Amino acid sequence: MPDFIKMGLALMVVGLVATSVLAVTESVTREPIAEAKRQEILRALTQVLPQGFDNAPDSDTVLFTDARLNRKLKPVTFYRGRKGGANLGVAYVVIAPDGYSGNIEIMMAVTPGGTVSGIQVVAHAETPGLGDKIVITDWPKSFQGKTIDNIKWGVKKDGGDFDQFAGATITPRAVVKAVKKGLEFFLENEAKIFQPASTEAAK
Amino acid sequence: MSTTKEIITSGFWTNNVVFAQLLGMCPLLGVTTTAINGIGMGMASLAVLLGSNVVVSLVRNYIPTEVRIPSYIIIIASFVTIIDLVMNAYLHDLHKVLGLFIPLIVVNCAILGRAEAFASKNSVIQSAIDGIASGLGFTFALFLLGASRELLGAGQIFGIDVFGPSYHPAIGFILPPGAFIALGFILMGIKWLEAKREERKVVPAPIPIPEA
Repeated sequence: MPDFIKMGLALMVVGLVATSVLAVTESVTREPIAEAKRQEILRALTQVLPQGFDNAPDSDTVLFTDARLNRKLKPVTFYRGRKGGANLGVAYVVIAPDGYSGNIEIMMAVTPGGTVSGIQVVAHAETPGLGDKIVITDWPKSFQGKTIDNIKWGVKKDGGDFDQFAGATITPRAVVKAVKKGLEFFLENEAKIFQPASTEAAK
Repeated sequence: MSTTKEIITSGFWTNNVVFAQLLGMCPLLGVTTTAINGIGMGMASLAVLLGSNVVVSLVRNYIPTEVRIPSYIIIIASFVTIIDLVMNAYLHDLHKVLGLFIPLIVVNCAILGRAEAFASKNSVIQSAIDGIASGLGFTFALFLLGASRELLGAGQIFGIDVFGPSYHPAIGFILPPGAFIALGFILMGIKWLEAKREERKVVPAPIPIPEA
């Protein structure tokens, strides 16, 4: 057998075996990965939404596209928490594009009427020890109970009411700005946001 | 060829992937902001090393020499993808932290290096031992660097405060430059240890201790 055929055959066999092993692994891990991601979202939802929702917010969702939520106009999922059919709050992820290093993804929740019930940073690449105080301190709690009117939206350096950190102003400024935009979007579209999913409406 | 003990000492210490060969710098410097990240990355690399060493050793007599490198790369890449998927499914939080660095294990020269330099010439058992030893050596290096950076940069070990609130962490050690600085000092320490051992070897023991 000529050498080049032998080489080709060897590579083909290696490739075939590798592909089939990977295919099997993928099919085995697909379910657990989806479940782990779902748990992650649920954990964040429980953190930000008001206590006591009795539906599954991760399946009661609606999509919106708006430049204030996502500059690249990707649809944003709104997770709606309800209790006994009444609207309890809605949670969604806004993206702050102007952090110190890369995008900051923030899950925020708003109750009917437009009060922020909580925020949580779900992804960021801010400086450890400085900017990451938006995650590891109680700072996100300062958003609880805030409406568009009852606080000046901005960090103290900019004349607002939110604390900045020593050595890190850009990060909290970006978060405050993103949450404010998210809240403004909510106020304009509240009725549409809480509208039951189209499948439910058809009943 | 070499005894089990030699393989282990060589993989873990004398030929340590990091301290002696300075390979695998990308994950080494990238993920070691905390001790636990270092261990996680080290264990993932260990699993890939073990898997690829065993398989490469198994097929070493069937793969023509001319195409061995692409074959090794396919084998290594497959193991990395398997680890990536399995970690994503069962160790989701750690996977989120290590993120991008898991796929990058493919291009960790240490792994291809062991496949080419050791597994392609030795038996399956020896290759497995070498994979574990080198992997542990790599994990140890990552842990050492991660722990020093976490200690200096955040005042913590495994997330537990060590120095109390009066300590002002040197944030620089968590940032990328800190990785280079800390690694430099660790390498200096290792070289110093080695030099000490060399000195001791030169001086003959005055009374030879009889073997028990």
